[in-house]
Amino acid sequence: MLAGFLVIAYSLPFAIGIYTENVFFDRQWLADLATVVLNGVMQGGVYAMFAVGLTMIFGVMRIINVAHGEMVMLGAYLSWMSFFWLGFDPLLAMVFTLPIAFGLGWMIQKFLLNAVVGGPELTPLLMTFGLGLAMIYAVEAVFTTDFKSIPYAPDSFQLTETIVVGKSRLISFVMALVISVGVFMFLKKHRIGKAIRATSQNADVAMVCGINIYGIYMVTSGISAALAVAGGVLVSIQFGFNPETGIIYTLQAFAIIVLGGRGHYIGAMIGGVMLAVMESLISFMLPNGTALVEIAAYGLMIFVLLIRPRGLMGPKTD
Amino acid sequence: MSTRDNWRNLGFLAGWVVLLLFVPPTFSIYIRSFFMFLMMYVILSLSWNIISGYTGYISFGHVVFYGIGTYATAILVVDYGWHWIMAVAASGLVGAIFAILIGYPVLRLKGPYFAIAMLGAAEGTRVIAINWVSLTHGADGIAYPNIENSFETYIAMLVLMVIAVIVAYWVGHSRFGIRLNAIREDEIAAESLGVNTTFYKMAALVLSAIFPAMAGGIQGYKTLYIEPESEFFILITIYMKLFAMFGGKGTVIGPVLGAFILYSVQEYTWIRFPTAHLITFGIFIILVARFMPRGLIGFAVDRGWARKGMVH
Repeated sequence: MLAGFLVIAYSLPFAIGIYTENVFFDRQWLADLATVVLNGVMQGGVYAMFAVGLTMIFGVMRIINVAHGEMVMLGAYLSWMSFFWLGFDPLLAMVFTLPIAFGLGWMIQKFLLNAVVGGPELTPLLMTFGLGLAMIYAVEAVFTTDFKSIPYAPDSFQLTETIVVGKSRLISFVMALVISVGVFMFLKKHRIGKAIRATSQNADVAMVCGINIYGIYMVTSGISAALAVAGGVLVSIQFGFNPETGIIYTLQAFAIIVLGGRGHYIGAMIGGVMLAVMESLISFMLPNGTALVEIAAYGLMIFVLLIRPRGLMGPKTD
Repeated sequence: MSTRDNWRNLGFLAGWVVLLLFVPPTFSIYIRSFFMFLMMYVILSLSWNIISGYTGYISFGHVVFYGIGTYATAILVVDYGWHWIMAVAASGLVGAIFAILIGYPVLRLKGPYFAIAMLGAAEGTRVIAINWVSLTHGADGIAYPNIENSFETYIAMLVLMVIAVIVAYWVGHSRFGIRLNAIREDEIAAESLGVNTTFYKMAALVLSAIFPAMAGGIQGYKTLYIEPESEFFILITIYMKLFAMFGGKGTVIGPVLGAFILYSVQEYTWIRFPTAHLITFGIFIILVARFMPRGLIGFAVDRGWARKGMVH
C-alpha cells in the first residue's frame, strides 16, 4: 500500500506537469530532468544527515526534538559568522562549530531533557518547542529577519554538455556522506557507539549492564546537535536562510524519519533522498513549483503516518 | 457540582460581562482593542483546551482553524458582499467542515504524531493560502473597505466569548466531557467501556475548531487587512497553548485565567522589549512544561489553596 502511494506521489508531479504543458519529452527536457533528480539526490544526502540526528534522539530517548530544525538554522548562522566575522572557510570551520554544537546539545540534555526522559511524552515535546522558540528569537535579536547567504563556490561542474551540477551542492553531498558514514562507523565500532545502540534497544537492561544511560543520553544529544549544525553549515553554502527557516527543517526531518522508519538510520538515509527528489520534481514540473516544495514534506508525512505508521523500515511495534 | 454552583458560576460570568461592557464607552480605542484581543485569546485557549486539555490530543497547529475562519470571512465579505456577521457565522461552519476533513486522517494518530501532523497541516495550509491566488489573493492579502468598527467587533467578540465560556463549561461538566477525559486517560479502556472514541474525538475537534474560526473572522474584520503569513502565524498556536497550559489545561477557568494574565504581560513586555519578549516566552514554555505541568490551577489545588471542585 505504501508502495502504491509512493508511485502515485511520484507520478503526480509528472501528471500535473503534462497537464500544464511543462513536460516536453525532448532531449533537452530529459537532460534537465536528470539534472534535477541528481541535484535532488545530493540535497537528500544533506537532509538525511540531519534527519539521522533527529532519529537518533528518538531511538535512544523516545523524545521528538522539535528544536532540531532550529539547530540546523543555528548551524547556518555559525557558518555565516565564521565566514564573515572570522574569515574561515565554512567547511574548515566545522572543526570548531561541530564541537560547539556538541557542547550545546550536551548542555540541553543535561539541564533540560534528562529530567523528563521516560515521563509523559508530551512534556519534552513542549520543552523543545519552547527551546526552539527561544532560539529563533535570540538569533533574530542579533541578526534580524533578513535573509542571509554565503557566496561559496557558486560555479558548477559540467558533467555532459547538458547535465550540470552545482559545485557547492556536490561538496555538500560529499561532506554529508563522509559525516554520515563516520557516525555509522562510530555507532558500529566504538564502545560508546555500541552503548548508544544498547540504550536504544533497552535502557533498563543497558543500565543493569553498567552503562551510564544519562551519560549516553547526553552524548546522543550532543551528536544529534552536531549533525544538525553540520546540516546547517552545508545548507548555508547552498541556500539563503533566516531565523524562521528552522521550522521547515524540523518538518522535513520529521517527514524523513516517518518515511524511513522511526529510529532507523538506513531508513532515514533513504527517506532523505526520497523526500529531496520529490521536492526537486515538484519544483521542476509544477507551475510556481518552487513555492510549493514545502507541501512535499507535509503531504508525505501525513500520508505515510496514515498508511503505514512504521514507515519503510521501522520496527513493527513502537 | 450542584445546581447552586452552576448559578454561582453563571453569576460570576455575568459580573465579568458587565465589567467588560463598560470598557468601550469608558476607554480609548487602544484599550478597547486590547480587551478585544484579550477576549479573542480567551476564546482561542478555551477552544484549544477542548481538544488538547480534555481529550489529551495536543495540537501544535490550531492556528489553521483561526486562519481558515479569517479567510472565509474576508472572502465572503470582500468578494461576495455578505454582511460581516453572516460571514462570521458561515466561517464557523467552514471551520467545522475543515476540522472534519483534517480530523478524519489526523485523529488516528496519537501523542507526538498528532501534534506534529497538526503542525504540518497548519504549515501546509499556509503554503496553499499563499499559492491559491484566485481564491485567497495570494501573498498580497485581502483588504476590507476601510471603516472604524472597533465597537461592533468588540461586542461581537464579547458575545462569542460568552458562548465559548458556556460551551467550555458545559463540556467540563457533562457526560460529554467525562467521555473526553476517559479518552485522555486511556483510549483503549474507554473504547472497551463503550465510548465511541472516534465520534467523541471528532466532536471535540469540531467544537474546538468552530470558535477559533469565528474569532479569526471577527479579528480579520477588525484589523481590516489579512495576509497568509500573519493569519497562519505559528505564534498564535503558541499563545493558545501557553495560555491554556499556564492556567491549567483540562479546566474551564484555567485557560481564561492564563489568557488574562499572560496576554496582559505580553502586551506590556511587547511594548517595552519587542524581541526579548518572545525569547522569554520560549523559556517560559519550558519552565511551565517542566515545573507546572498542570498549570496555576493544578499548582493551587496541589497545595490546598483551592478546593478541587471550585476551580473547574
